[in-house]
Amino acid sequence: MNFSFNPADLGYLIPYLIMAVAGMLLVLAEAFYRGQDRSSLVGLTVAGSLAAAVASVVLYRQIGDARVPLLGVMLIAARTSYVLSALFSVVTALAALMSPAHQKEHDWQIGEYYGVMLLSASGMIMLAHAANLVTIFLGIETMSIGVYVMCAMRRRSRRGNEAAMKYFLIGAFATGFLMYGMALLYGAAGTSSLVEMQKALATTNNPGLVIAGAFLLVVAFGFKVAAVPFHMWAPDAYEGAPTPVTAFMAAAVKAAAVAAMIRMFGLALGGDVLPFGSLGWASPMVVIAAVTITIGNISAVRQDNIKRMLAYSSISHAGVLLVGVCALGLGAASANGAIVYYLIAYSMTTMGAFAIVAYVGSKGRERLLVDDWAGLGAQHPGAALAMTVLLLSFGGVPPTGGFFAKFYVFKSAMEVYDGQLIWLVLVGVVNSAISIYYYLRIVTAMYFREANQPFAPTRSGGLLFVIAICPIIVLEMGIMPGFWVKLVGG
Amino acid sequence: MPGNFVLPLIIGLPLLGAIFVMCTPKTESTLHRGIGMTFTVLTFLVSLLVLRFFNPKADGYQLVFDVEWIPGLGAHFKTGIDGISIFLVLLTTFLMPVTLLGTGKAIEKHVREFIAAMLVLEAGMLGAFVALDVFLFYVFWEVMLIPMYLLIGIWGGQRRLYASIKFVIYTMVGSLLMLVAIFYLYVQYGSVTGTYTTELDKLMELSLPYGAQNWCFAAFALAFAIKVPLFPLHTWLPDAHVEAPTAGSVILAGVLLKFGIYGFLRYAMPLFPHGAATWAPVIAILAVIGIIYGAFVAFAQDDVKKLVAYSSVSHLGFCALGIFALTAYGVSGSIYAMLSHGLTTSGLFLGIGVLYERRHTRRLAEYGGLWKQMPIFAGIYLIVTMGSAGLPALSGFVGEFLTIFGTFNAGDTFPAAAPNFIPYPRLLGALAATGVIFGAIYLLYMFQKVFFGKLDKAKNGNLPDLKGRELGAFIPLVLGIFLMGLFPRPLLTVMEPSVQKFLRDFGKRVGEPDGPAHLYGTLPPKEQAKANAQIQQNLDAAAARADQVGKAMGGAR
Repeated sequence: MNFSFNPADLGYLIPYLIMAVAGMLLVLAEAFYRGQDRSSLVGLTVAGSLAAAVASVVLYRQIGDARVPLLGVMLIAARTSYVLSALFSVVTALAALMSPAHQKEHDWQIGEYYGVMLLSASGMIMLAHAANLVTIFLGIETMSIGVYVMCAMRRRSRRGNEAAMKYFLIGAFATGFLMYGMALLYGAAGTSSLVEMQKALATTNNPGLVIAGAFLLVVAFGFKVAAVPFHMWAPDAYEGAPTPVTAFMAAAVKAAAVAAMIRMFGLALGGDVLPFGSLGWASPMVVIAAVTITIGNISAVRQDNIKRMLAYSSISHAGVLLVGVCALGLGAASANGAIVYYLIAYSMTTMGAFAIVAYVGSKGRERLLVDDWAGLGAQHPGAALAMTVLLLSFGGVPPTGGFFAKFYVFKSAMEVYDGQLIWLVLVGVVNSAISIYYYLRIVTAMYFREANQPFAPTRSGGLLFVIAICPIIVLEMGIMPGFWVKLVGG
Repeated sequence: MPGNFVLPLIIGLPLLGAIFVMCTPKTESTLHRGIGMTFTVLTFLVSLLVLRFFNPKADGYQLVFDVEWIPGLGAHFKTGIDGISIFLVLLTTFLMPVTLLGTGKAIEKHVREFIAAMLVLEAGMLGAFVALDVFLFYVFWEVMLIPMYLLIGIWGGQRRLYASIKFVIYTMVGSLLMLVAIFYLYVQYGSVTGTYTTELDKLMELSLPYGAQNWCFAAFALAFAIKVPLFPLHTWLPDAHVEAPTAGSVILAGVLLKFGIYGFLRYAMPLFPHGAATWAPVIAILAVIGIIYGAFVAFAQDDVKKLVAYSSVSHLGFCALGIFALTAYGVSGSIYAMLSHGLTTSGLFLGIGVLYERRHTRRLAEYGGLWKQMPIFAGIYLIVTMGSAGLPALSGFVGEFLTIFGTFNAGDTFPAAAPNFIPYPRLLGALAATGVIFGAIYLLYMFQKVFFGKLDKAKNGNLPDLKGRELGAFIPLVLGIFLMGLFPRPLLTVMEPSVQKFLRDFGKRVGEPDGPAHLYGTLPPKEQAKANAQIQQNLDAAAARADQVGKAMGGAR
């Protein structure tokens, strides 16, 4: 392996460094605290992640169209990396803003929380830059281990413990697949650099290894993004984890896993280099994508618990993202931009939606059932309006970011040579109609029904900020998508 | 170009009003209603400027406003109108204040949200009528959906939950398949020309292979047929109408249903002419079934609102038949019938609202003898009913007559490369004509049940006649119905050039031979010659068939 340390490379990694250092500082700071209240740590958390976001933006503007290899062939700096790292940083900041009120209200104040969150986010940023099997693995593990811990932080909650345990075991299992798949690919290609791997695989005389390795990777990433049939953990974990953590998992963790898939399947295994057939790994992947969208939606229709409903909805969104990954691997020019746009829109929508879930609940009464939301529109019109916008965005109704994101991804899937993915687009589109049904169930409850008892929402500045900003961004992304399309390089 | 600001302005004004009304305090419902009236009247007045700038002799799009919207995608914010859409736009801006005036204080809760929903709905409808970019059109098309859903769901009747979700799901399924067809078209255009765009004029240059056209047309047609609504897809309509508040019903019937026909005219048929030719028999037959079936079912209703809802199924069947007849009479008649239907059905629904506000029932059996009690209302309602039934000198007659006339002559006048464009045009025309008779029957039946007979229900004894506000809403409608019935010429003259252009373009494009996606007129000369020969052959066949039909009908030709 070719690893050379060039101090100048660190300049390109400032967002990563800020995030990691801030994370460590936060863990240290915990040692100096007494008592229960840790809300003052939020300030540093938000400052750290926003600093990382700003650094990403600055570097995005500086780097232009260049693709700079860093630390030998370990990492790469390109525009997409910085868009993604800015996204992860902003989502982290939003999750942090949501947390203190929820911690106080539901009594799970643990100081390490913020430190772990930033360390996990640093793993995500590493994934945004990853250009090597080693860094992909490191990134995924750094990110995942942090999230396992965050998931378990509500120590007194049995549901929470169950969720964390399930998540951890399944995650560890998936890591095994990941490691094994990487080992096989390395064996076939003789290199761990993703760029070189693409060239090496074109001439490999071990197609069996490549098929097996790629297939194991499909399974491993299937677990990570919660694709059917590897999705069993997601509803339990999403329901059991504290709501801000659920938001973090559904938005940032999923986005980072997809970012790793962009590199893995778009770069190392992408293009027409595979020695077998035109679809290669994509043939299991398209099936998984179709099944994921469909099962995710149909299961969501049957849910009464909003967090579980959103969990299944996030499964179906993972399916749409997989459609994008397939399109990318099959050579659709706009797929990379489409996926990144989708990640931005989806993350913002998810953060906002879970923030409202956190807002509506209060001590001893989390109000997670759809029926519990009856009459929200009359009593808290602002929150209900925000939720409606976000749900419409989830459902892909214009003029929201969610609509344009779906439009963009499906459009890129249509670009695949010879219309191979038209059927997949049809599946996705029909599912959008199904999804409208359950998203509107919540809208129906909020507006069309009377409240059975008054709401006592969790109020905090941070939470309200997230609730206000996310729908605005989502609407802006839908009405004026031009800026964002340019941002993601479309 | 002078006047190109008008269209964006009339989309923007209601949106501005919606934002404005949401910023006012929650309890000031009089203020909210005032803001609603102000902005809708203002929008109407501004929309009248369209007449000032519109050149009735030109056939292309006018008052075009075009800015690039999403550069990476080639989507434009491009609006414009022609003779087909101009009156639909005016109908929309006209009906909004009339509706708000006519329903007055019928809405008591969440007035602010109600006004906002109506205004957003208006913006969506106007946007969809004037959009000249498929992406923009799709966005507006969906934007209309949500306020309508809220109107039914929040301010609707007993079964509003069911009706609202049914409305959304039906519409959504149709429009999403349309979206797939849009993708396909967009990507094909991009791969043929190398530039990606969603502008309508540019996409219309592209000729797709026949198979793809059939599929794409089917996808578009499903979306539009649900909206029309064509016969087997109409089941959402009675539910939505019955549960919606009066204002919702008026706008739904008065404007929203027109998007089905308008969509066929503006998008489905010009974009996929061969697909249109393939599916035309199916649609024409369904339209005729709808005309007769709608009339029969309407006759069987006891609920007035349901009766009028089914009458829409029947009346919109005429419009669908008219456009697929592809004659100048058929298409202009269809547009005229849409405008007339917009006025008469709005009047019918407003009248039902008037009755419901006083008696809180919509059952025909509960009424009777109201003529003596409410003479002014009865007189006005008689005119509206007669207009809807198609009495000569009122608006309904012109449209229905023209569509039937156009259909009847479809076999003779349409010089298409598709001789079987609609089968048995004379038979279909004759069947459709029976729909006019049935229409008169059920509408008169309704009128008789409500206004004639004895005033034998005690509760009907002291119903007050129309108030000034209600009169204010009805008078413009009645005037419109009279004017459109007595003086159809000015409107038809304005439509004429655009309708002729539509038919000309369609006739030219439908003859394009099958082949991989290409721009019209770019085929190699040899293939073009083959295609021309095919067109000539089809024309001969059409003429021969027309002769045959003529002989079969006793040598009338």
